[in-house]
Amino acid sequence: MLAFRFASRPLLGTLVGLGLCALTLSQAYARTLSTAYGDVEVTDQPERVVTLYEGALDTALAAGVTPLAAVSTRGSDGVASYLQDRVEDIAIVGTAREINIEAVVAQRPDMILAAPRLPEDQYQLLSRIAPTLVPASEPYQPDTWKEEARFFAQALGRESQIDEAISGIERRAAELSDQHPRESASLVRWMPQGALVMSPMIFSSTLLTASGFDVSDGGVVKQGRPHSDPLSLENLSRIDNDWLFLATLNAEGEQALASAKSSPAFARLDVVKRDQVVPVDGQLWTSATGPLAAEAILDDIEKALR
Amino acid sequence: MSQGVTCEAGGERLSLPSMFLLLSACLAVVCLLSLLFGAGEIGALDSLSSLLGMLDGALAEHAEEAAFVIHELRLPRTLIGLAVGMALGVAGALLQAVARNPLAEPGLLGVSAGSAFAVAVALMLGASAATLRISVAQLGALAGCLCVLAAARMRGVGNDPVRLVLAGAVLSGLLGALTSMILLIDQRTADEIRFWIVGSLAGRRLADLQAILPSLALAGIVTLSIGRPLAALALGERVAVGLGHHPRLVRLLAIGVVALLVGAATAVAGPIAFIGLVVPFAARALAGPDIRRTLWLCLPLGPLVVIGADIVSRLVVQPSELPLGVLTALIGAPVLIWVVRSRRLPTL
Repeated sequence: MLAFRFASRPLLGTLVGLGLCALTLSQAYARTLSTAYGDVEVTDQPERVVTLYEGALDTALAAGVTPLAAVSTRGSDGVASYLQDRVEDIAIVGTAREINIEAVVAQRPDMILAAPRLPEDQYQLLSRIAPTLVPASEPYQPDTWKEEARFFAQALGRESQIDEAISGIERRAAELSDQHPRESASLVRWMPQGALVMSPMIFSSTLLTASGFDVSDGGVVKQGRPHSDPLSLENLSRIDNDWLFLATLNAEGEQALASAKSSPAFARLDVVKRDQVVPVDGQLWTSATGPLAAEAILDDIEKALR
Repeated sequence: MSQGVTCEAGGERLSLPSMFLLLSACLAVVCLLSLLFGAGEIGALDSLSSLLGMLDGALAEHAEEAAFVIHELRLPRTLIGLAVGMALGVAGALLQAVARNPLAEPGLLGVSAGSAFAVAVALMLGASAATLRISVAQLGALAGCLCVLAAARMRGVGNDPVRLVLAGAVLSGLLGALTSMILLIDQRTADEIRFWIVGSLAGRRLADLQAILPSLALAGIVTLSIGRPLAALALGERVAVGLGHHPRLVRLLAIGVVALLVGAATAVAGPIAFIGLVVPFAARALAGPDIRRTLWLCLPLGPLVVIGADIVSRLVVQPSELPLGVLTALIGAPVLIWVVRSRRLPTL
């Protein structure tokens, strides 16, 4: 617990916290993780962690480790806004699409936590800088995010914290599910050109499912894709369910709702007339993964149900 | 300048009024099709019965849906397609007459890009009012036009159509790069502009159309008044002066009209390339090179191409839609290549 409190402060706290952890938990032994690119040996408690995946940053923070550097979230040049308070001065070493390898080197990491499906050529480069851990998770499965979180926790030697966090989230989602009858819902990213329907298999959709919603994509998302192409305004009725969670790529969910409502095709949807549209932060809902993101999403769901 | 004669070689030709009526009839059919077809579940038959008021009580809910889709979604985009097509077709013909170059197309020469860039700057600076956007787009188009004229006066460019297109490509590329830079810097603008930059008629409102009508009307009046001097200009500067016209004034007026038209069309639908190339090209093929005849045919031909392309854009990737700008580029690029490759590039 002491380690936890220290860790919420920036770098110095982390280092002290890590030291304490190493002493108290005495988990500082060599571990072998099976990653997407074979077995990787990790020794000791890593002290200079660089995360190249939003889910890895989230998991590390949930486990009480503050990484030195991370990639920016989509539609922003910093980390997702729900994490900003926790890592005010974290270095940014690229975007999810394009990693700045030189900036990663400059951080002198002793562990790199990367995104699933990191391209092999990038893996080859990164693994020469530090042990690079790429989760071998299968995309768009209900438990993908948990698998990934456990994998990163194992890399950091903090399995117990993350296991606890995950079971806490499962419990909370089940409680939310008990509070209301099962209802249908769609998750949509609203763009000026129309609606991108998000897959029922992405992270936030699986949390909606666990909280008692039947997430539907109206049959417009292709298998293995995170979202559809912008839907024609003539087809908006496909997302007319009991609930509509409406996200934008940037954090301005309320503004997105206002702009959506000015479109007659949107305003005439039943779900809009019943006022069951929930504006949400697209960075959190359509880009992030991890235990902290899960808690924040459950907060949003709880607020919507209240 | 001996084109007028050679073009008549094809034999019996329909008179201008009958061609105009024929094309207008085609346009009416295409407009009807545009009301009937869409990317949604309201198919052609449903739409037709809804239009004829034939859906009875049993299908009331369906009828309501069909009526909404037709009146609120398909009708506005058809009307806007009508205005945008006319504006771009006429603008292309005028710009070609002024630059005396059959390849002078507003989209190719950077006029649309100038307009788009101006709008991106305005959006970045916090503007979002529709009326402001139109005047900004027109100013940007005017700046683009002046750049084109300047390029056309450069040694070696003015008398070589392909070089003018190259100069335009450079200008378009530069402005496009600047616009992307703005998109990178400002995420809010990026969201608002990213789709608009490709060009589309979807989700536009009739209010947008009303906002550009004054510009279009003004452009129409000016065009009517400069038709004759423009035709004289095609015979050469000296002939025009000899006939009592003022070439410089006429050119400036024509450029102003092009800016008004392209700016208005771009403000509503985003930059839609190649319409200003394809439409005057077809009009010249039908009516010969006289600008007064060409302009009349551009009026039905422009919307014919725009609305036709828009219908296809709704049907090819259901339940989504293809951006209109992508489709017009697919139609226009082969025409451009064909014009350039044809052995005798006509000079206007």
